[in-house]
Amino acid sequence: MGIFESSQKFEEILGGFFRHVSDTPSVANKLLASKLIIRFTYTDPDVVIVVDCSGDKVGVRPGDTDTKAEVNMSMSADIAHKFWFGKVNLLAALTRRQMVAKGPIPKILKLLPAIKPAYTMYPKYLEDNGYNKYNIY
Amino acid sequence: MGGYAGKILYIDLTSGAIETRPLDLEFARKYIGGLGFGAKIYLDLIKDRPGFDSLSADNPFILMTGPLTGIRMNAVARWTVCSKSPLTGLWGECNIGGFFGAELKFAGYDGIVITGEADKPTYIYIDNNTVEIRDAQKYWGADVYTVNDEIIADHKDTSRKSGQVLTIGPAGENLVRFASIINNKGHVAGRTGMGAVWGAKKLKAIFVRGTGSLKVAYPKRLDSLRKELKELYAGHITIEGLRAFGTASHMDIGIISGDIPIKNWQQTDWELFDEIGPIAYGEKILTGNRTCYACGVACKREAEVKEGPFKFDKGPGPEYETVATFGTMCLNSSMESIGKANDICNRYGMDTITCGSTIAFAIECFENGLINEEDTDGLNLTWGNSEAIVAMAEKIGKKQGFGSILSEGSAGAAKQIGGNASDFLTTVKGLEAPMHDPRAAHGYGLAYAVTPRGACHTASPIYAIEGGGMYLPEIPELGDEIIGMSSEGKAKLNIACQDFGMFFSGCAVFCNLGANILNATQAVDMVNHVTGFDYTIKEVMHLGRRIWYLKRGLSNLFGARAEHDRLPKRLLTPIQTGPSQGSVPDMDLMLKEFYELRGFNDDGVPKKEILEDLGLSELSKLLYRER
Repeated sequence: MGIFESSQKFEEILGGFFRHVSDTPSVANKLLASKLIIRFTYTDPDVVIVVDCSGDKVGVRPGDTDTKAEVNMSMSADIAHKFWFGKVNLLAALTRRQMVAKGPIPKILKLLPAIKPAYTMYPKYLEDNGYNKYNIY
Repeated sequence: MGGYAGKILYIDLTSGAIETRPLDLEFARKYIGGLGFGAKIYLDLIKDRPGFDSLSADNPFILMTGPLTGIRMNAVARWTVCSKSPLTGLWGECNIGGFFGAELKFAGYDGIVITGEADKPTYIYIDNNTVEIRDAQKYWGADVYTVNDEIIADHKDTSRKSGQVLTIGPAGENLVRFASIINNKGHVAGRTGMGAVWGAKKLKAIFVRGTGSLKVAYPKRLDSLRKELKELYAGHITIEGLRAFGTASHMDIGIISGDIPIKNWQQTDWELFDEIGPIAYGEKILTGNRTCYACGVACKREAEVKEGPFKFDKGPGPEYETVATFGTMCLNSSMESIGKANDICNRYGMDTITCGSTIAFAIECFENGLINEEDTDGLNLTWGNSEAIVAMAEKIGKKQGFGSILSEGSAGAAKQIGGNASDFLTTVKGLEAPMHDPRAAHGYGLAYAVTPRGACHTASPIYAIEGGGMYLPEIPELGDEIIGMSSEGKAKLNIACQDFGMFFSGCAVFCNLGANILNATQAVDMVNHVTGFDYTIKEVMHLGRRIWYLKRGLSNLFGARAEHDRLPKRLLTPIQTGPSQGSVPDMDLMLKEFYELRGFNDDGVPKKEILEDLGLSELSKLLYRER
């Protein structure tokens, strides 16, 4: 059993966080510049979320298994949670295949400056939305 | 037997004697190549007279390839140089890529041992079996790019193959203590001032042309491994990152973990960071990719600035370490000026890590009133002043004005500047720390403290292992999950990294970037398929351990003691915000464990019985005779 008790809860929390991030112009603008469609596939509990940066606005679509994504990221829900706390060594996670990234690597790497501000946003988002029990900050 | 060329050149510049000696295969098996050969031969040469100045004729200089250099595989084009360092006064070494090592082996030599000093500017000419010491007065004073082109042009009529040049620039001639040696304009033996050793010997360059080929002991097995690795390399995130952004790809990853020193190690974040990140590099100065011999990774960059104050012609672009030392360390957000500073360092022949770090140190001295514009020849040496940073780099290369003081390196300059200048130092044993922060990965702290050449991130794979880019599950200590901001278990981790690293990048000589995705089995297999030896992982760890002690012993012979195994105050000052907030390595814990596990006495010297168990009785006698 991981940190999250159900797929529904994890989808609610992470989907909500992605929407929060996509409503933040400084992050959203950089994501939109990438024009990527990214599918995150999480396990334990299982959740799929598509983040669509191909339009004028960042789209966040939990459960979307139909859209063709250019980038596919797979990881456990626990790794994802720790990642947004800045507690995962990204390179080690990729090397040890705790995270798997498929797609055009240069484009994926270009997303890093975009997501950097999100690290500080995640703990606050959890706190502000009543998810304190998941806070490991 | 495959891999090796089978001969070593011995050249004495004082007498002019040139001798070729066959490579003894028992020696090759025991010392593998690269720094294994170099350290052992060096010790044999100096054992009767270890007390000498690094800039004297008594200091030998050794260039050695590894058994894989010149083999057509990714990430094995590298080779090594070693000598006593003019910057630290201790053991000095570098691991270099490019084309020179392969060409030397095609000419029939595994390495070159250079002793003595010439009485006038000289270069060494090697064309297969023809080896001569020639007059270099026409090249003396010229910059690295010019000499490289002129020597190639001057010898092009004698063969259809153009050959390779290894040269120093004016900084080496001027005995700048961190002068480098450069092959093909951008492949640099940068750290510890090997270029000044050449300058003191009045050795300007080595030209080599080889038309031979290398044998592989088991070609079918190597082909099979090549196929296996082709799949591994295809689409691997590390390799694709290197291909797309070069070593500067680390900027965006390192900033997340707090790895990148900013403002002379006082910050780990900066609002202008993206101005010099990998994307900005691509947009502002990048013109293309370069590579080393037979390597498909092609992580080297080519850059150009077409106009403005930082104009420079198309040539080798800055590596990550250079972007950090001349950029983040100096709060310099001008990518163009970083490219220009890199161009100056390459043309004059200077190590960009020491040069940029020394300028960052000088800026802090300036900002704190220890020096002023009168001292700096009118330069307003403040944070982010791109023009002043570039101008100072050139002054150092010329050893002109305040540049002469900084040409001693930051530790040497601090002594001359006085006051509390030493508070701003980031050196260990006199060598400026590379751009990876031990406050975010404590194991680096121990590595910087105990590495024989001083603060170093390449002598062992600790940076790659703890940083996460390398994973060696076959070696138990290196397969466990690693917590960066913890000092527990880091002594054991460092020791395993040192032992394997001496085999891997020190002797074999694998590239610390493009070969990091191999596991230990693949690395050992490659060496076995090429050489015909039957090394096991256990055996290469044992051989690596012995060579590590040999290098440590050489630094001990030159005076390194426990008090030198220390991090500077600046690297032990906690960062107030960011990913590594409040974290500092527990050096007392790590050093205590390391000394116990390595069998050092309280002075930081390996105990007699440890050395004798490893078959290093000669070194033991020298160390304990000295005492």
